[in-house]
Amino acid sequence: MKIIRLILALTLLAATAVPSYGQAKKKQVLNLFCWSEYVPQEVIDGFTKETGIKVNTENYASNEEMLSKLLAGGSKYDLIQPSEYTIEALIKKEKLDALTLENIPNLKNLDPKFTKMPHDPEGKYSVPWMAGTVGIVVNTAKVKTPITGYKDVFAGTHKRRIVVLNDSREIVSWALATLGISANDMTPENLEKAKPILATWLPQVKVYDSDSPKTALLNGDVDLGIVWSGEAAILWKKNKKFSYVLPAEGAHQFIDSLAIPKGAPNKGNAEKFINYILKPEVSVLISGEFPYTNPNAEAVKLLKPEQRDNPASYPPSAPKLETFKDIGAAAKDIDKLVTAIKGRK
Amino acid sequence: MQAALGAPDPSGTRRPGLFGWLLMTPMLLWLFAFVVAPTLILLVYSFCERDDLGQVVYSFTWDNYRRIFFDSDTGEFGTTYFTVFVRSVIYAGLTTVICLVVGYPVAWSIGRAPESRRNLLLTLVMIPFWTSFLIRTYAWITILSTNGLLNSFLQYTKLIEEPFDMLYTPGAVVLGLVYSYLPFLILPVYGSVEKLDNSLVEAAFDLGAGPVRAFQKVIIPLTQPGIVAGVLLVFIPAIGMFAISQLMGGGTDPTIGEVIQNQFMQARDWPFGAALGMTLVVMFAGAFWFTSRRQAAVPG
Repeated sequence: MKIIRLILALTLLAATAVPSYGQAKKKQVLNLFCWSEYVPQEVIDGFTKETGIKVNTENYASNEEMLSKLLAGGSKYDLIQPSEYTIEALIKKEKLDALTLENIPNLKNLDPKFTKMPHDPEGKYSVPWMAGTVGIVVNTAKVKTPITGYKDVFAGTHKRRIVVLNDSREIVSWALATLGISANDMTPENLEKAKPILATWLPQVKVYDSDSPKTALLNGDVDLGIVWSGEAAILWKKNKKFSYVLPAEGAHQFIDSLAIPKGAPNKGNAEKFINYILKPEVSVLISGEFPYTNPNAEAVKLLKPEQRDNPASYPPSAPKLETFKDIGAAAKDIDKLVTAIKGRK
Repeated sequence: MQAALGAPDPSGTRRPGLFGWLLMTPMLLWLFAFVVAPTLILLVYSFCERDDLGQVVYSFTWDNYRRIFFDSDTGEFGTTYFTVFVRSVIYAGLTTVICLVVGYPVAWSIGRAPESRRNLLLTLVMIPFWTSFLIRTYAWITILSTNGLLNSFLQYTKLIEEPFDMLYTPGAVVLGLVYSYLPFLILPVYGSVEKLDNSLVEAAFDLGAGPVRAFQKVIIPLTQPGIVAGVLLVFIPAIGMFAISQLMGGGTDPTIGEVIQNQFMQARDWPFGAALGMTLVVMFAGAFWFTSRRQAAVPG
């Protein structure tokens, strides 16, 4: 028994030995919690060089992962990079600190189209990092019929030649768009209406991939894709045969932003970082590596013509665009609906 | 551990002394911190609820387990997750059978090879482990895709006109699983084959048994411990695997590993993910109990 008690004591000891952040007291730091593959190293190095503030980065692969780590406490982050519906949820739960706007004079560079959007109507909590859409990529070397919307993709003529994002909410929102229902109206009745549409659509899908849907298109395994605009922009850069179409039924526009969580230990440094990335010459670097839609109007002016002409980054004409709102617990019903239909032949 | 205590206990049931416990402490600590404690946390979570942000709320409910087996709208027996379980078992079962058929002869020939060459052959089996699992899986994507190495080669040699659909099919998933788990079957079977007393096989032949009968009645029973260990080592991880079905299968036929992963990520529903995980643990325990009982029933 003594031994067992000793073991228990040791285990408790091990459990309390939480790794400390190991930051020097005097040295200025910024704990940045951001998407993997979204903040160029060049930008981080430039910031440290200019301000002397050391940046500790930690990465996540989805808004949900970020939420769970942030809410679990433990680590103290100064700056996070949530998308619009996550910002809305965080504001609702009072998990974000309001920005001191005077500390961020470069806010004036932002295109007003991307500020004070529904998820943060007063623009008090978040600053847009990159915007983008979810649209259709067509390999025009293989698909000769015109593709204008979701209905054409799933018309039945491209069976098993389609890649889509492996994201249940996205998929269901496309089905709702064909019915003219908002992507934020995820009521049980509307899900019931989406069901028969998904039952004809999903068996036509060959690949579900959110991380790198461009791979299946590049390898020739599929001819059509419903993917992030950034992926589409990279495909277009590689080969002009990949054209990007914003679905006529309406498309999801996402706004990835920077925000400061409540209780951030280095709020001032976080605001300095936001101000730094809003400089046009810095923002251009981000566009160079991740060709999403840059919300920084001054930076867009500095882009090379071929960057600005990329139809996936800067679509010439846009149908109805809609941002996502937080849908709370409906996420589980959506996941169940899609899981049930996947795998049916 | 018993050797350290002196003479081995013939009954094999003596309780370990203080020194024995001390020797076991690192392993017990490890098991407690990384197996027992997480499983208990999962068990607690599986009876909890979630709030709108996806945080776990500590209030007791059976609902998560009910949702696995019954349709939440109608209350009838639901097939959604049941189908997913069955599909995962089929993939894992098929993988195990193929691994056994392919791996047994390999293990046998390594175990019967001249001693000087065995280490080299075993190293060859292990070499793939030197590369990260994900990189090896991505390599398969390069080989199997429509514009991939294999299709290009077949077209170049004029064996086929049009490229084959190989990647993103159930066959590709099973191929990936077999490729990843084959060494886990070869190594334990090799262990049994190496210990096999050749005179028993010779005796079988002397007593008039043909090759088939000798294999059936002598070799299989004698190598059974290795077979059972290998089958478990392949079957159990293959059920929970999600990366291969996602990357090589295209995620069109979700497996239980993928569905559980989704609960912790997209659906923000940890309690339900925990309930699915616990159901899987119970299934594993059942499979283990079943095989170990069968092993005990067959005289070895």
